[in-house]
Amino acid sequence: MQSDLLTDLGAAMLAGSLTDEVLMAQTDKTPPVRLLPDANVVKVGGQSFIDRGRAAVFPLIDEIVANLPHHKMIIGTGAGTRARHAYSVGLDLGMPTGVLSVLGTFVSMQNARMLHYLLAKHGIPFIEPAQFAQLPLYLSERRAAVFFGMPPYTFWQENPTIGRIPPHRTDTGAYLVSEVFAARSMIFVKDEDGLYTADPKKDKHARFIPKATVAEIEAMDLDDVVVERAVLEMLKNAEHRRSVQVINGLKPGQLTRALNGEHVGTVITADENA
Amino acid sequence: MSDTVDGRHHVSSFLMRESLVDKHVLRSTETSVVRMLPNAHVIKLGGRSILDAGRGVVYPLVGVLAQMLTEHKLILGTGGGARTRHVFSVGLDLGMPTGVLAQLAAADALGNAHILGALLAPYGVVAIPPEMFGHLLPLFVHAVPGVIFNGVPPYSIWEHPPAIGRIPPHRTDAGCFLLAECFGCKTLTLIKDVDGLYDRDPKLGAGAELIREISAAELERRDLATLPFDRVLLRLLGTARLLRSFQIVNGHKPELVAAAVNGEHVGTVIHA
Repeated sequence: MQSDLLTDLGAAMLAGSLTDEVLMAQTDKTPPVRLLPDANVVKVGGQSFIDRGRAAVFPLIDEIVANLPHHKMIIGTGAGTRARHAYSVGLDLGMPTGVLSVLGTFVSMQNARMLHYLLAKHGIPFIEPAQFAQLPLYLSERRAAVFFGMPPYTFWQENPTIGRIPPHRTDTGAYLVSEVFAARSMIFVKDEDGLYTADPKKDKHARFIPKATVAEIEAMDLDDVVVERAVLEMLKNAEHRRSVQVINGLKPGQLTRALNGEHVGTVITADENA
Repeated sequence: MSDTVDGRHHVSSFLMRESLVDKHVLRSTETSVVRMLPNAHVIKLGGRSILDAGRGVVYPLVGVLAQMLTEHKLILGTGGGARTRHVFSVGLDLGMPTGVLAQLAAADALGNAHILGALLAPYGVVAIPPEMFGHLLPLFVHAVPGVIFNGVPPYSIWEHPPAIGRIPPHRTDAGCFLLAECFGCKTLTLIKDVDGLYDRDPKLGAGAELIREISAAELERRDLATLPFDRVLLRLLGTARLLRSFQIVNGHKPELVAAAVNGEHVGTVIHA
């Protein structure tokens, strides 16, 4: 297999170790290609949004439809309260994290199917992980697709450091879609304006944080954060999607403004340059 | 059952209305874990180190595995080897992101799984398609002496961007580790072409010293230039609940594989 067809790096990888950090540092020297640079990833919260039912979801669906002529959207869904129920039962019965991950996948899939049916008359498909190869076609033809936010790790989900809840859930899965496709934006639609110093539902003195770097958030050592901590970890290593925005989808027009590139919620960046 | 005081339709549970990011909530979720396949052993056969080495290495190892299958339930994972390095090389040159490289790599290891499956077919052991492997694994383990899968974890385009470079961090060692941990398997053995872990790469010169046993934390501290297994395993061991160690053995001495699965210390043991 040693041949002229291999790049120097290829020959080095064939002979060397993929654990060699000096060799690994050579592997991002070629310029990356941005696969879907004009698509936006929009993640709709489970507990924060879909569990609110029609009052919250219908106006958001209208806003998504109104934006179809202007923006391509890859729409991911959270899991929510049924996942919490499944996790509770599963924890009590001694289920490992990988099994809990399977359970979370099922709930975010239910939510994806419901959003999909609400968008069906606009020709927007629901895609499972195996169908992501068709995503570019659907975005070109219909300008949006719905997917379940849970990354498909199932039994291969890593254990968390604390407790047993899968650490990579729907925020992380949606974020990774935005990173791999080099999407134009990653927007998390929740029921709060963004990141606060504490959970604003439980602490009246919680202070809103409009913009923060990952390092700043880590330095605050918050008990609770508005996105999964794994998203912060992934942002640090990201090659493409170096910022995300968390917005309040209960406020009409916020999604539209965020899609237009405005800063309306909390923008979290990998560093000061992002 | 249902509760809507805050405008959200909740299902009653101890995690109801809770943030799954909150550290205090997460601490409350630490409970004992069941072992789904406590008698099964996971064995990873290196791609480049074993399968690419050809018949001189693979046939004797297959003979040992066939013998072991009469006593033990084996879950065999395969690496992708030289073809994965090649597709990484071409993919990187074409600017593919980490997630795409991970998606591509699954095919090479699956090819190797099918090669191993052809060799072990006389013993009732075949490669199972990844789509059904996880969910049907307990059925297979009880129905047949062993199964083969491509060791690749199903991260695909959801692979994590690594801290350094663009190569997927969760490769086939990680896939075998995560599977053994989730299913609570008895042992994890990584078959390579070295006697174990050395203080420096033994292929790059004489004088490297074999480390017989070491903790993941100590290994992190020593920060060796290369490791004979996916680096992410050190972090995974740190959070493992059921699989507290794994062993690296030399597949060019196939009798050691049988010894390792029998609980003997014949290579390098890395423990949590």
